[in-house]
Amino acid sequence: MSTVQVEVQDLTKSFFDQSRGEIKAVQEVNFECRGGEILGLLGANGAGKTTTLRMISTVLQPTAGTARVLGHDVVSDPVEVRRNLGFYSASTALYPRLTARETLTLFARVNKYPAERTKSRVEEMIERFGLGDYAGARIEKLSSGMKQKVSIARTVVHDPPVLIFDEPTVGLDVLNALDLQKAIQELREDGKAILFSTHIMSEAERLCDRIAIIDKGRIRATGDLEGLRAATSQHYLEDIFVHYVTGNDTTE
Amino acid sequence: MDWTTIRLLYLSELRSALRERSVLINGILIPLLMYPLMMWVMFSGILFVTARFESFASRIEIAGLPAEHRGLLERLEEDEGRIEITEIEAPPAGAATAYREEVENRLLAGELDAALIFETTGDPPGNAEVSLLSNGSSDQSQTARGRLERALSAERSAWLDRIAEGHGLDGAEWQVFDVRSNNLATGRQMGQFVMGMMIPLFFVIMIANGCVYPAIDSTAGERERNTWETTSTLATRRIHIVAAKYLYVATMGIVAGALNAAAMVLSFRSFLGPLLARIGGGDGSGFAFELPLSSLPVLLLTAVLLGALVAAAMMILAAFARTFKEGQSMVTPVILLVIFPVLLLNDPSMTFTPALAGIPVVNVVLLLRQAIAGNVLWLQLGVTVLANAAAIAACLWLASRILRVEEIATGSFEGNLFQFLRQKLRPAGRKA
Repeated sequence: MSTVQVEVQDLTKSFFDQSRGEIKAVQEVNFECRGGEILGLLGANGAGKTTTLRMISTVLQPTAGTARVLGHDVVSDPVEVRRNLGFYSASTALYPRLTARETLTLFARVNKYPAERTKSRVEEMIERFGLGDYAGARIEKLSSGMKQKVSIARTVVHDPPVLIFDEPTVGLDVLNALDLQKAIQELREDGKAILFSTHIMSEAERLCDRIAIIDKGRIRATGDLEGLRAATSQHYLEDIFVHYVTGNDTTE
Repeated sequence: MDWTTIRLLYLSELRSALRERSVLINGILIPLLMYPLMMWVMFSGILFVTARFESFASRIEIAGLPAEHRGLLERLEEDEGRIEITEIEAPPAGAATAYREEVENRLLAGELDAALIFETTGDPPGNAEVSLLSNGSSDQSQTARGRLERALSAERSAWLDRIAEGHGLDGAEWQVFDVRSNNLATGRQMGQFVMGMMIPLFFVIMIANGCVYPAIDSTAGERERNTWETTSTLATRRIHIVAAKYLYVATMGIVAGALNAAAMVLSFRSFLGPLLARIGGGDGSGFAFELPLSSLPVLLLTAVLLGALVAAAMMILAAFARTFKEGQSMVTPVILLVIFPVLLLNDPSMTFTPALAGIPVVNVVLLLRQAIAGNVLWLQLGVTVLANAAAIAACLWLASRILRVEEIATGSFEGNLFQFLRQKLRPAGRKA
């Protein structure tokens, strides 16, 4: 079994809202993710998936608890965390006035990929994601499918051992979504530890080795699909999800 | 500091900006083309006014012109521009009021541009009360009035000379004292004085204009395009990202200022100077507009100081904006704060003292004015550099503190700098 790449312990995040007071977006979340594994964070909109992943990627600071990426703490060593991490989400757009090649070069260099190998790595990414004809075009001129490919390429260009995909298929058509899922599966085969958040059951079922069900900022259950089935006596993931979130058995 | 990463991010920002039309127009084209464009506008304006003046004939009616003042007609004919004079007899005593009313109506209807009505008052011959009627709301009528006033004044002096001569006096004796004014300033000094009032304003506006778009684009623009979070996930310290963005905004301001300074020196030396000199007189008594080449290094230094300061101030305010529109309204106070001292310093009696050199923006404007006049006051220059460096450092310190605040970095803070400071300075117990 591969080593633990991501460890999350009692991770908590609170926000303050003028009208609603203190909002606990994430409460004492615990999980870990190993190399060559896809851990799915399954939850409804507003369940706390994005906040959790943003804390791991150091975009937000935890209110309490810890998160470590390859042993580096997200609060005390954020630069090393980011160096070992690729973060992809609907809110991480690309720089529209740079070309795909310029974007990949920038991310490789700033994320400390060895300078002497950057050029060949960028060309490798361009070929792997089929960007050859568009590598010199500005991002703003590309189709959404091509933009999404450039986005994945920029997430992995510095070859990080840990990858985060936060609802990556939102807004994509079926073919592009399948392409993306295929790319994520290939990255798992490369030995990456992947955190994958979604609210789409079929996607979680197809991709994830283990699933953590999150609701109202708390992890309700974690395990592989078989384990969750056994624990809930439900077959379909949808029913398992409803079981943990509402506490109701949906089988007749 | 990781200068390799800062350089990479800075070059990427710069490359991106140079592909944006608004940045090119505001930061490069306008500063570079402003003076040639100004020249073209002025030249066209002069041509237009001259052509209009040449084609236009002043329609003047003169009633009851005494025989002693026939010279008035010659003086009017000699004046520049075309003129149409209608001369009539003085109206009979009973019809004077009716005639005047009729002239007034024609003036108001635009059928006539000006009228002179002479009413002789007796000895000596030619003594008269003269009414000059015109329509103040009409440009043509005002021009005709000006021509009549000049001709009348000359005719009156000549007539008084003739009367004095008849009494055995010469002009100098009856005028009692004669005033002769003498301007000791050379045309070059007068030109530099005028330029010192005018150029700093354009220069400061150009630098502020060069910074505005990049400052908003690199902060609020990133949030609006959803690239802020992408940048936040780069494996570098936030301070390096802020430093790269600041250097980019400052570069655009400095480039706008430097291009404007270079265009200014070249334009004044080659064509704008001679053109303006013609307007000022052109016979050696008018203005001579020359910018000494030695002023160029100081102009470039002021561009660097002002660009660096304006960029830092704008980034502090723009850091709070979540959209481009919010950014525009937030950085407007900086533009006003920069332009205000220039307007205030248009008092020519203002001297560039070492104390004034300690006030940012004010010192740059005064330094610029000295440079245009061809002077360099070294003590004031040194104080100016130090004062601006201190102000820039303070702004950058504040900017880095602000961007460390999570709500501001992620764009979830709803408010501006002043609301933020108020919240931070509020006693701990009252904080949310």
